[in-house]
Amino acid sequence: MAEDIKSQIQRAINSQPQKTVTMLSCLLAVHDECGFIPTEAIEIIASKNDTSINDVWAVASFYTNFRFTPPAKNIIEICWGPTCHLMGAQQILSAVQDNLSLESEGDTEDGFVSLKYNTCIGACSQAPVITINHHPVHSISTDKILEKINKELKRKND
Amino acid sequence: MQENQEIKLTIDGKEVTAQPGQTVIQAAMDAGIYIPYLCYWPGMKPYGACRMCVVEVEGQRGTPASCTLPAANGMVVNTSPSEVEGLRNNILELLLSEHPHGCLTCHRIELCGPQDICLRHVRVTDRCVVCPKNERCELKDTVRYSNMNMETPLTYNYRNLPIHTNDPFYDRDYNLCIVCARCVRVCDEIRGDSAISLIERSGTVLVGTSHGSSLLESGCEFCGACVDVCPVGALVEREHKWDKALKTIPTTCTHCSVGCQVNLEVDSKGEVIRSIGNWEAKANIGQLCFKGKFGMEFINSKERIKSPLLKDENGYKEISWDEATNIIGKKLKNYSGDKFSLLLGPKVTNEDAYIAQKFSRIIMQSNNIDMATPYGDSLVRKLEESIGNMAGSGSLQELENSECAIVFNANITEQHNVAAIPLKKGRQQQTLNLIVIDPREVELTRYANIWLRPNPGTENLLLKGILSEIISNNWQDDEFINKNVTGFEELKDSINNINIDDISVLTGVPLEDISKTAESFASSFSSAILYSLDNIPSTQTTNTVELISNLTLVAGNLGKPYSGIFPLRSGTNEQGGMDVGCHPEFLPGYKSVSNKENIEYFENAWGTDNLPAHPGFKASDALTAMQSNTIQAAILIGDSPLYNDDAIHALSHLDFLVVQEMFLTDLASTADIILPMTSFAEQNGTYTNLERRIQKINLAVSPRGESRTPSQFINELANEMQSSIQFSNENPIDIFDEIKNIMDIYSQINIADLGNDGIQWPCNEESPNGTSIMYEKGFTNKKGILFSIDPEKAPLQSKEFPFLHIPGRILFDPNTDIEIVLSGRKNAISREEAIEFHPDDAKSLSIAPGDSVEISTPYSVKYGKARLTGTLKGAVSSTALFGELVTEMDKSSDLEPTLRLSTLDIMPARIKKIT
Repeated sequence: MAEDIKSQIQRAINSQPQKTVTMLSCLLAVHDECGFIPTEAIEIIASKNDTSINDVWAVASFYTNFRFTPPAKNIIEICWGPTCHLMGAQQILSAVQDNLSLESEGDTEDGFVSLKYNTCIGACSQAPVITINHHPVHSISTDKILEKINKELKRKND
Repeated sequence: MQENQEIKLTIDGKEVTAQPGQTVIQAAMDAGIYIPYLCYWPGMKPYGACRMCVVEVEGQRGTPASCTLPAANGMVVNTSPSEVEGLRNNILELLLSEHPHGCLTCHRIELCGPQDICLRHVRVTDRCVVCPKNERCELKDTVRYSNMNMETPLTYNYRNLPIHTNDPFYDRDYNLCIVCARCVRVCDEIRGDSAISLIERSGTVLVGTSHGSSLLESGCEFCGACVDVCPVGALVEREHKWDKALKTIPTTCTHCSVGCQVNLEVDSKGEVIRSIGNWEAKANIGQLCFKGKFGMEFINSKERIKSPLLKDENGYKEISWDEATNIIGKKLKNYSGDKFSLLLGPKVTNEDAYIAQKFSRIIMQSNNIDMATPYGDSLVRKLEESIGNMAGSGSLQELENSECAIVFNANITEQHNVAAIPLKKGRQQQTLNLIVIDPREVELTRYANIWLRPNPGTENLLLKGILSEIISNNWQDDEFINKNVTGFEELKDSINNINIDDISVLTGVPLEDISKTAESFASSFSSAILYSLDNIPSTQTTNTVELISNLTLVAGNLGKPYSGIFPLRSGTNEQGGMDVGCHPEFLPGYKSVSNKENIEYFENAWGTDNLPAHPGFKASDALTAMQSNTIQAAILIGDSPLYNDDAIHALSHLDFLVVQEMFLTDLASTADIILPMTSFAEQNGTYTNLERRIQKINLAVSPRGESRTPSQFINELANEMQSSIQFSNENPIDIFDEIKNIMDIYSQINIADLGNDGIQWPCNEESPNGTSIMYEKGFTNKKGILFSIDPEKAPLQSKEFPFLHIPGRILFDPNTDIEIVLSGRKNAISREEAIEFHPDDAKSLSIAPGDSVEISTPYSVKYGKARLTGTLKGAVSSTALFGELVTEMDKSSDLEPTLRLSTLDIMPARIKKIT
């Protein structure tokens, strides 16, 4: 198992398409591949970039968008950018949080859903927007949201 | 654009001159003008984090930080207009909102002690008086300097973080951290380690490690550089944590031959409580290692020998110094000449070593005088033949600017830690090509551009390979060779029969790496080689040094900056001891005893008429001679790694043995008379480090008990034995004067001028300020000599036995079943041995993991189960039970070169699958 995650990390780091590979681009590649940054990745990235694990950790811990534990099965991101905010993102957020029994960002106790805030996904014309497992759901109203989420999650996990 | 011209600017109405490249704060500090700062540290790059050093520049907008502002011509700087002071106070208020400061805002700040009851009910954790850095705190000093009116309007927030006390040597309390990042920067910029970093962001940023792991896991070397630069109480040494220093004495560290300059802090009880690196010194530029930083407690030890001890039937009894010298004097009269030997541990000062050799030669008529170090002079002896001096040729800290450096078989970060810093720095700046040659994985291999990992025992072959690559590709420095060197044609002929492909196969080093190393080393403008002889069998060491000398000469790496050859001597003052004549073949200044003129010169200088003129025994040979009763009496001053169990057994054959030591070691307990010796902190004198730098050691604390310096003891003994002549003076300054009067290479050194930088010999009429780079004018008397290469010795392996068998032991192996069986009438362990080798080798022999295999050496056969986890191709290792190994080791003829202990023999072997 441990061997598996190491090769997964290696693959993510080595298959970056861009020319300039940096510590940050490696972290992003691993995050995209694994959904989080495993401890092993810090060591691999440090040796790849000729630096110490502490320096990699310094960069990784700077960004709130990196997570260091495996994510839940499903990820719901709720945009709280200005446009979405005006169009009622706060109400959507409260509704979803109540439904998942969460007080802010985070994972549900059963590890089924990770809730994340998003500052903008670039679909302001269709605000308010949320994404369910990276698929945008737009122009949604507060009363429909829970229904939609449940439907989406059910569809994926059946 | 005019460069390198002095810059003139005005700071606070004062005309100030600055050097090009200096910042305003540096110019101000040089001119004696104080600008408050917290994150700036002289010697590190400007950072501009704390903004305490803001100033006003006339004609410029805003208030720039003076630590990042380059000084410019005509600049008019005001350091403390009220606007700037207001800004600074705001910054301090912000800092104090997260830093405990109960005492900083109290009018009793100067009056309270740690035990006083606080009338203001300030929590213990918020008081300065109970902080270990109280009165050493830069934040406290800065608050006092500012006029903050003793108030902090911002809400105070104690971070409530746990204090890290699980790591060795020092404690970390990040509740006190002001995030100036000095520690992070010194670890990264100066040490090249990055064992700590700034973690997280904005308001929650703090110093930490990856995943909050312990320092032991984060790559920390425990050099304590971070502790030295911390402005507050966040990082503090654990020993003597709360002790206050009464005085600070600059001296030279005694732990290795790098000769780091340290400032020893001494408290009111006369104990050494801390040591702090000296940032002004050229030998170490403020840096220490864990030994120099945290390893000074031995000075204060209660276990020190306090008075002379005489062996009698009930053990040892205390006697007075007078009695002791009297007994020794009477006894030694019977052993003059070759029956006597004097061996000095590597920590004696130049003065003590000089007096000792003088005593041995004049009074005892014996040239059996040597420094007792593991490698003896084998590390340098060949250099005297090839380049004329048995010493490092340049300055270590300047190697930061080298283009290429080879570190050969030396675990430099362990044994000469501070010498590795320039290499790591150069590597970090990506200007240095660092090549490590070592069969072991050492810390530096992590930093190396190329790590050549020869199979154990093939190091010399690899050096030959590099040499032949240089010459066959014509990468050598022809101009240098024509001018300065003889023997090149012969060398060229002797490498003709070297086949580089064979070498690559035998050493296990890829051809490409050998070639790259050769090209980089020979073609770079400046390349250096630092070498030791770790794990080289003693029969091959001469060859190794010859080859290293050859490489240096062929690449023309002498007489220019940032390059050279550096024998990494193990003993602290091994260099100085040999310089002043502690050598069985050399009088002071490397004058051979076999030369009649030299003998006459010294007889004249010392007022005697019969100096012994035949070479004596080296330290290691002297030990053998003791066993055969050729040497019957000896004085040993100071312990040394040379004195292992075998050596101590040899010493027990002596009729009479005197040991002067600090502790009752195994060595001391063999002596007939033990004398208490001072530590380096209890005497004045000089040390000479491995780059020939003569540096002062200064008396910091008074000698423990009745300890005396070796020169005090020997002087008295000499007067006791031969009262007719005035032997020498006891005062180290007078002894040094005597040394410089008879030794050309020290002749122009004035002991008072030995400041932070010391002086590198030769310091004579030709170069009165010392010589940091030797051989700039070529080799003085003669040409450098290249050694021809020996014809190939047959490698250990052969067609019949193509593998190397490396025996080893395991304590516990979860994969093997162990059975207790009855053997004869005793219990014995029965189990199947694991035979470990490289998967590639297994493939060629079509052996699968778990197969039963047989390994046979010319002398033995072993059976076991194959395990393919080996890391060295061509090597096969097997395990044996501990008891069996002891028997094998006993029969072994291999000696471990550092400790001279018997090791397990590495044997040629073949592997066979059994079906």
